[in-house]
Amino acid sequence: MATEDPGNSSTDKGSDGEQWDPIRTAGRWDVHLKAHLAVLLVVIASEAIGILSYPVGPGQVVLLPLLYAVIFGTLIGFRALGAVIDPLRQLVPESTSKVATPMIVIALMPLGVKYGTLVAPNFYEIIGAGPAFLAQELGNLGTIFLALPIALLLGLKREAIGAAVSIAREPTLGIISDLYGPDSPEGIGVLGTYLTGTLLGTIFFGLLGGLAPITGLHPQALAMACGMGSGSMMTACSASLAEVAVGVSPDQVLAYAATSNLLTGLTGLYVVLFVALPLVNKLYDVLGERLGGVA
Amino acid sequence: MDRGTFLIQSLQMLIIVGVITLVGNTVGYDFGIIESIPGMVMIVAIGLISLVASREIPLRLPAFAYAIFIATLLALPFSPTQEVFLQYTDKISFLATATPILAYAGLSVSLQMDRLKQVGWKLVVVAIFVFFGTYFGSAIIAQLVLMWQGLI
Repeated sequence: MATEDPGNSSTDKGSDGEQWDPIRTAGRWDVHLKAHLAVLLVVIASEAIGILSYPVGPGQVVLLPLLYAVIFGTLIGFRALGAVIDPLRQLVPESTSKVATPMIVIALMPLGVKYGTLVAPNFYEIIGAGPAFLAQELGNLGTIFLALPIALLLGLKREAIGAAVSIAREPTLGIISDLYGPDSPEGIGVLGTYLTGTLLGTIFFGLLGGLAPITGLHPQALAMACGMGSGSMMTACSASLAEVAVGVSPDQVLAYAATSNLLTGLTGLYVVLFVALPLVNKLYDVLGERLGGVA
Repeated sequence: MDRGTFLIQSLQMLIIVGVITLVGNTVGYDFGIIESIPGMVMIVAIGLISLVASREIPLRLPAFAYAIFIATLLALPFSPTQEVFLQYTDKISFLATATPILAYAGLSVSLQMDRLKQVGWKLVVVAIFVFFGTYFGSAIIAQLVLMWQGLI
C-alpha cells in the first residue's frame, strides 16, 4: 500500500500475475537491456548534477538527484519526447515503460532497507514520541477542510468528494473506484488527485520539504508530516528537509518520516474508509449548498 | 507468475537495481564500488525476502514495509547484528537508493497519459490544496502533541 508510487494502476492490484509479468526476462532481454540502460543513464546524469540548493528567505529550495531523475525519466518516455524524436522512441519504446512499472516496487527495496537502518538507531526517540506519531495520522484529514471548500468554489460537484478525500495513493484510489465506480464523478475526482500526485507529487514535496521550516514549525513535526503513504513523496520531502533542518540530525528527520509513512501504510486505508469518507460526504452536504450551489 | 519464476525474476531485477545503485553511489557520493558490494548483497537479500513476504503473507502489506521492518530489526540498538549490518550498509548513500526508483517512475509515466486527459485543470488545483492540507494538517497536530509531551 505504501509502495503506491507512479505508474501502478489500481486495476493491476487483483491480478498478481499480470502486475509482475513485465519483469519476465525469457526472450525479452532486449527490452530489459533498453529499460535498465535508460535508467542507468538517467541515474548517472542525475547524480553527476548532484544536490543544488538556493536560499529563499529563511528556507531553501533544495534540488535532489531524485528530482532530476523523475523529470528526465518522464521526458524520455514514449509519450513525451519519445513521441517526437524517433531515435529516442526506438531506444525507449512503450515496452520499456511497461517494464519500468513493476520495477518501481523492486527499486524501493534498497531504499526501504536504508530507511530501516535510520529508524533503528532512533528507536527510543520514536517510541517516546509515539503519541505524536499516532495523532498526526489524523492530520491527513486536514486535506478535507482545505481542499473541499476550494473544490466547491471552483464549481466541482461530486468530483470534489473523490478529489478532496485524501492524498489518494493506491489504497484510496481502490476504495473510491470500488464504492462509486471508476467512471463516476467521484472516481474521476480521485483519479485527478492520484495522477497529479504521480506526476507532480515528488517535485512538489521536494520543494516543500526545503521551504517548510519558514513556517516556524519544529523539524520533528515537519518530518512526521512527510510520511503520507507514498515512498517517493516521503523521500523527496524528508531528504530536502534533512538538508535544511536546524537542531535535529538529518538521520532523525529521515527516521521520523519513514516511521510516519509506515504508520500511514498500516492505518491509512482504515482512516479513509471509516473517517475521511463519511466526513467528506457530511461536509459536502453542509457546504455544498452555500459554496457550490449543490441542491 | 508462479512462485519459482517470481523468485528468480525478482532476484535478477534486484541485482540490476543493485548495480545501477552502486554506479550512482560512486558518481554522486564518492563511495568505491568494491567496498559497497557487501552492503548491497545484504540489501538484495533483504529485498528478496521482503518481495516474497509481501506476496505470500496474506496481510496485503507492501514489500516496502517489510524491507523497512526487517532492516530495522537487524539494526536495533540491542540487535547482535547491528554493528556489522550498519558498517556495511553505511557504504551506500541513502539518496543513491532513491534516484533509480524515480527514474523508473518517470519512465512509467508515459503509460498514464491517456488517463490524464480525463482530468481537468480544476482537479489539478484541488490536488495541490490536498497536498498542502495533508502536510500541514499532520505537521500542526504533531507540533501540538510534541509540545504537550514536552519533547520540543
